[in-house]
Amino acid sequence: MFQIFKEHKGFGKQIFLLAKNELIKTYKGAVIGPFWAVIKPAFTLFVYWFAFSVGIRSAGNVEVIINGEFIANFDRFIFMLVGFIPWFFISESITQGAKSIRINRQFVTKVSFPVSTIMTYTSVARLFVHLFLFVIMYVYVAFAHGVSIYNLQFFLYCPLMFAFFVALSWSTAPMSAFSADFENMIISIMSGIFWLSGIIYNSYNMEVDLLVFGKPLKPILEFAMMLNPINFFANGYRNAFLYDRWFFEYPLELIIFLVEFVLVVALGIYNYNRLRKTLPDVL
Amino acid sequence: MAQPIISFKNVSKEYILYKNSQERFKALFRKPKNPKINKALKNVSFDIYPGEAVGIIGDNGAGKSTILKMITGVAFPQEGEVEVTGKVAALLELTAGFSMEMTGRENIYLKGYILGLNDEYIKTIEEKIIDFAQLGDYIDQPVRTYSSGMRLRLGFAININIEPDILVVDEALAVGDASFKKKCKDKINEIIKTGVTVLYVSHNENSVAEICSRAIFLKKGQLIYDGDVPTAFEKYKESKAKK
Repeated sequence: MFQIFKEHKGFGKQIFLLAKNELIKTYKGAVIGPFWAVIKPAFTLFVYWFAFSVGIRSAGNVEVIINGEFIANFDRFIFMLVGFIPWFFISESITQGAKSIRINRQFVTKVSFPVSTIMTYTSVARLFVHLFLFVIMYVYVAFAHGVSIYNLQFFLYCPLMFAFFVALSWSTAPMSAFSADFENMIISIMSGIFWLSGIIYNSYNMEVDLLVFGKPLKPILEFAMMLNPINFFANGYRNAFLYDRWFFEYPLELIIFLVEFVLVVALGIYNYNRLRKTLPDVL
Repeated sequence: MAQPIISFKNVSKEYILYKNSQERFKALFRKPKNPKINKALKNVSFDIYPGEAVGIIGDNGAGKSTILKMITGVAFPQEGEVEVTGKVAALLELTAGFSMEMTGRENIYLKGYILGLNDEYIKTIEEKIIDFAQLGDYIDQPVRTYSSGMRLRLGFAININIEPDILVVDEALAVGDASFKKKCKDKINEIIKTGVTVLYVSHNENSVAEICSRAIFLKKGQLIYDGDVPTAFEKYKESKAKK
């Protein structure tokens, strides 16, 4: 039942060592090495910002309205930046997490190894990058927007985000190792998930005037957006750094997230235990 | 008699052969109907006691490597129980588990952690390992810069110096040039004399008889004979002649 936790006991140091190793593997051989960790997301962010401000010409300001209450106007750039920083961690830890066992197959088929720590150190490596990017973001936010007590919520959202996506990989990594089709499915879905999540727009306030069966679509859509856990973190970072609001000011969103978290952990434990012993045979 | 150090109780192992990747994907969500099955081990039972040296013989596909994988904790049985107590040093895939970007020294620690050793203990054997592997200053270079012979030497040195309770040796082991091969052989013999439990996989009657007092003969996943070495090889030759 708690095999995953047992496997982690006494492996802290090793996880750290392997996470470091993972980063070296990703950025080795490049002249500016670790700077790629910044350049890639910075360029992606620039491209989206460019498309919005020059291409569609609708960058301007983002008017943030939550539950009908006007919060503030934000420059599109800072609004996108604060959503992007958690998104980079999320997208990387989902795709890398899903691939992790297959990539590290030697630890499964050649030696007796606590397999679940593979997913942990893969995500820890992404977490290092996230913290690095976060510091850059925070410096910008501090100058452009200011510092506040609400910023402390980072210490809630960040560990929670790490835990949630590690637990998700307990399911996705063994399933991807078992079937390459499953891995491809995850990666295909991920490229679209970005647009379905409130990274570059505000998922609390969906601007739609459509009617469905005579009822406005807006509240339904806004509820549906809460089912996406990625929004919980993108909104969470914005609560902490832009909106100056506390996490408990959104009880429904919080409850939905916590239920999903419990589900993901339970599914993860189930899938990992179910597939762990067949992994050496199929890899 | 003492507690067995390795115990197999009615162990069976089958591999499911999926027709294609579609079948494999479906198998993630529901049990496949009438899958093709390859039975690698059928109801195998034996006990090995501390200090014994046991030879394992049989043709390819007889289930030798499946048994070794279960002893080293890599594979798991579908039915039955496998119990292994103590540290296992497997001289099978020497370079397995190395991280190419880490230095040789870091890999010593990594391998040590995998085997359940702590920092202090690894520190005490670190110099011995480096010395045995003859790597010199290369020990602080990433393993990816090593030649294949250097990797094998390091792998062998780590496995042999952890003071194992159980030593698993494959005779077909490749460890590089002749002089190092001799050094390895001497070291293996030295360790065998200290009274560790040895599992020796080989096709060669003379070398099995030299080391082992007992042999297990496997055929198509079944344990055919478990007893003294000459009889085991007699049965082995008999079964070959029948073909």
